[in-house]
Amino acid sequence: MISVTPKTLTGIAPKIDLTNLSPEQVALDIKNLNLYYGDKQALNNITMSIPKGQVTAFIGPSGCGKSTLLRCINRMNDLIDICKVSGEINLHGVNIYDRQVDVAQLRRNVGMVFQRPNPFPKTIYENVIYGLRITGEKNRRVLDEAVENSLRNAALWNEVKDRLFESALGLSGGQQQRLVIARAIAVQPEVLLLDEPTSALDPISTLTIEELINDLKKQFTVVIVTHNMQQAARVSDQTAFMYMGDLIEYSDTNTLFTTPKKKKTEDYITGRYG
Amino acid sequence: MNKWFKSGSPWIWLSAGGVSISLISVLGLLWLIASRGLSYFWPAELYQFDMVDEKGIATEVIGEIYDRERIPASQLAHLELNLDPEQTSIERLLIKTGNRELVSLDFRWILAPQIITTSTPEKLVVIERRTNGNFYGFIKQLILDGKPVAFSRFDELLERVDNFQEQLDKLQKVDIGAINYQLERLRLKQRKHDLDGTLTSALEEEFRQQSNSLNKEYVQLEEKLMQLRNNIARDALVVTAMNGEEITINFEHILKLSFNNQLSIIDKINVFFGQIIDFVLDDPREANTEGGVFPAIFGTVLMVLLMTVIVSPLGVIAAIYLHEYAGKNALTKLLRIAVINLAGVPSIVYGVFGLGFFVYMVGGSLDQLFYAENLPGPTFGTPGVLWSAITLAILTLPVVIVSTEEGLSRIPASMRHGSLALGATKIETLWRIILPVASPAIMTGIILAIARAAGEVAPLMLVGVVKMAPNLPLDGNFPFLHLDRKFMHLGFHIYDVGFQSPNVEAARPLVYATATLLVTIIVVLNMTAVKIRNNLREKYHALEQ
Repeated sequence: MISVTPKTLTGIAPKIDLTNLSPEQVALDIKNLNLYYGDKQALNNITMSIPKGQVTAFIGPSGCGKSTLLRCINRMNDLIDICKVSGEINLHGVNIYDRQVDVAQLRRNVGMVFQRPNPFPKTIYENVIYGLRITGEKNRRVLDEAVENSLRNAALWNEVKDRLFESALGLSGGQQQRLVIARAIAVQPEVLLLDEPTSALDPISTLTIEELINDLKKQFTVVIVTHNMQQAARVSDQTAFMYMGDLIEYSDTNTLFTTPKKKKTEDYITGRYG
Repeated sequence: MNKWFKSGSPWIWLSAGGVSISLISVLGLLWLIASRGLSYFWPAELYQFDMVDEKGIATEVIGEIYDRERIPASQLAHLELNLDPEQTSIERLLIKTGNRELVSLDFRWILAPQIITTSTPEKLVVIERRTNGNFYGFIKQLILDGKPVAFSRFDELLERVDNFQEQLDKLQKVDIGAINYQLERLRLKQRKHDLDGTLTSALEEEFRQQSNSLNKEYVQLEEKLMQLRNNIARDALVVTAMNGEEITINFEHILKLSFNNQLSIIDKINVFFGQIIDFVLDDPREANTEGGVFPAIFGTVLMVLLMTVIVSPLGVIAAIYLHEYAGKNALTKLLRIAVINLAGVPSIVYGVFGLGFFVYMVGGSLDQLFYAENLPGPTFGTPGVLWSAITLAILTLPVVIVSTEEGLSRIPASMRHGSLALGATKIETLWRIILPVASPAIMTGIILAIARAAGEVAPLMLVGVVKMAPNLPLDGNFPFLHLDRKFMHLGFHIYDVGFQSPNVEAARPLVYATATLLVTIIVVLNMTAVKIRNNLREKYHALEQ
C-alpha cells in the first residue's frame, strides 16, 4: 500500500491510494496501452490510473515514450500517419479510442500545452478566446469574462490587461507560455496536459509557471512531462518513471524520489544515466 | 595572384558583375522605351524649309523634324547634286508634314544640301484633327456662323465646338447606343418566343408597339444629332498650307491648336502633360495611329482583374488539397510535377486550348442552351473577355498553386497542433490559422500571376483580343458587365500599331509610348499587390519560430 504524505510546496494533498482508487478519484484510466510507430513499438503495455485534481509527472530519459504517452491522452498522435494504438484510455468510463468519440470534443476536454510557446499570430484577446470561437460562442460578455478569468488563472492578467488587443507575438517567451496556458484553460477542460512546458524558458519564467501549475490543480487534473527531476519533485503529487517504452515505477512523488523500489529508477534519479 | 583567387574576391566580383549587368539591362530598357515614348508628347519645334529640289524648282516644306540620318554620298550620285566632292556622306531629314488631304503621305525625306533657308516662324501652327492627321501651316481666317471674325475669338469658338462635340458623343454613344441595344434585345426576345412557340399575336403586337416607340425615339435623337452637326459645321478655319494652298478646316474636326514656336518652357511642360493625359483617356483614331489608348488600358486591366478573381480561389483550393488532404504518395508527387510542368507550356498552346475548349465547346454549348435566339450569331461561342480571363487563369494557375503550397509548408507544425489541441477540426484550423498565416505567400503567387498575365499577348489573339472594339466590356446597358464582348489590350495594341499599321512612321513613337504605358500599368498592379502582401506579412510575422 502506497500512501501520499503531506508535502511542503504543494500544501496538504489528500491522501490517495494509487493502487486502489475509487472511480470518483480517477481522472484517466489507462489500460494495456501499446503504441507502434510503423513496426517499432514505442509504448509497451502501459497500465496506470491518473488521479483527479492532482499533478502527475512523467519522467524518464529522452526517447523513453513519456511525451508519446502524454500525446495519447488527447489523441494528438492521430496526426502521425504511421502511428497505431491498441489498448484503452478511459475518461468518464468511455474509451477515448472508441470509434464514436469526437476527437475535437475530446481535445476540448483534455487541453494541451506544448514545449515551445505557440501563440497564434493574433491579438492576445483573440488567442485566449480561440477555443470559444470554435465552439461558436459570440456573446461579448461571456468572452470578456473568459479572457479575464483565464488570464488571471494563468497569472498573466496584470501584465497584459492594458494591451489585450495587441499582437500576442510581442510577449516574452514566458508570457507567451502562460498565454498558451490561459488559452488552454479558457475552454474549461478537465485535464491539462503539459509537455515540458518550461524547457524553452529562462529560470524566472520557469518558477512562475511552476507556481502556476500548483494553482491549476485546484481546478484541473494536470499531467506534466518533464526531464527536469527537480521540477517533477517540486510540482507533482505523483510521478511515473518510464524507460524504453515501459512504465517502470509509478508512485507518489516523495516515495519515488526518496525510496524508489526499482534499481532503474534509483539509477536515473541519482544521475547514473539520463 | 593565387592568393587573390583563394581569397574569393574574383567570385565576389563576378557575382557583383552579374548583378550590375542585369540592373543595367533593366534600367536601359526602361530608359529606352520611356525616353522614346515620352518624347512623343513633347511639343516639337515647327520648321519652314525653303528648298530647291533636284529639278531646280523652289518649294517650301513645313513640318516638324522627326528623324535625321546620314547616308553615303555615292547612293545619291544619280541625283546630280552639286556637292562638295570631299563630302562622303549627306544628312537627310525626315519631316512630318501632315496635311494628308494634300499629299497622300504625311512624311517626307529631304536632303540637307537642298535646303536653302531654315526658319521657325512664330505664326506657324499645328492643328490636331479628327481626320487626315495633323495640319501644319498658317491661319488665315476664322469663320463664325459663316461670317469672318477676329482670330482672338478662337478659344471661345473652340470651347463652343467642344461643347457641341461632347453632346454629340453622348448622343451617339450613350443615347443612340442604348436604343440600339434595346432594339436588339427586343428582337431577341421576340425570336425566343418564336423559337419556343409561345409567340401569340397579342405578344407580337406588343413587341411591334415597343419597337415602334423605340424607333420613334431613335428618329428624334437622329434629328437632334443632325442639328448639332449643322451647328458645328457653321464654324470653320481657313488656313494656308505649305506652297500657299488654302484649306478650310471645319471646326468639328479640330481637336487642338497650338503655336508650338511661341510656347515657353512652362507652356511646353503643360502641353506635354496634357498630351499624356489625352493619350491615356482618349479613344484611338485613324486605325489606331492617332489618339489615345483608353479602351486598351481598360481592357487590359479588366481582363487581368477578372483573371485574378478566377485564378486565386482555384489555385488556393488546389494547393490546399495537394498539401493538406492528398495522400503523400507517388500519385500526389506526380500531380505536383505535372502542375509545375504546366508553367512551362508555351502560352500559345493555352490559346489554342482556350479557343478549342472554352470558346467553341463550352461557349458553343452555352449558346445552344441559353442564347438560342441569337443563333447563328454567336454570343459566348466567340472569343471574348471572359474566355481570355479564363484562359490566362489556367496559364497562371501553376504559379499560384506552387507558391501557395510553399507558403503552407512554411507554417510551423506547432501552430497547427496548437489549434487542433484546442478542439478545432482540421477545416477550422485551416480557415482560422493556416490560411491567414499563409496569405502573404498566396499574395506572392497572385503577384507573379498578374505579372505574367498582364504581359501575355499570344494566347489572347486567339481568345478575345481585337484591333478595335466598338464597345467597352463595361457600359451603362444592363447587365453592365458584358463578358461576351471582345476587348482591346495594350500588348496587342503595340503589335497592331507597330506592325500592322498603314502609317509606319507615325506609329513608331506610339509603339514606345504604349509600351511605356503597359510597363507602368503592370508595375502599378504589382505594387498594389506587393503593398497588400506587406501589410499581411506585418500582421502575421509569426513564421520565425
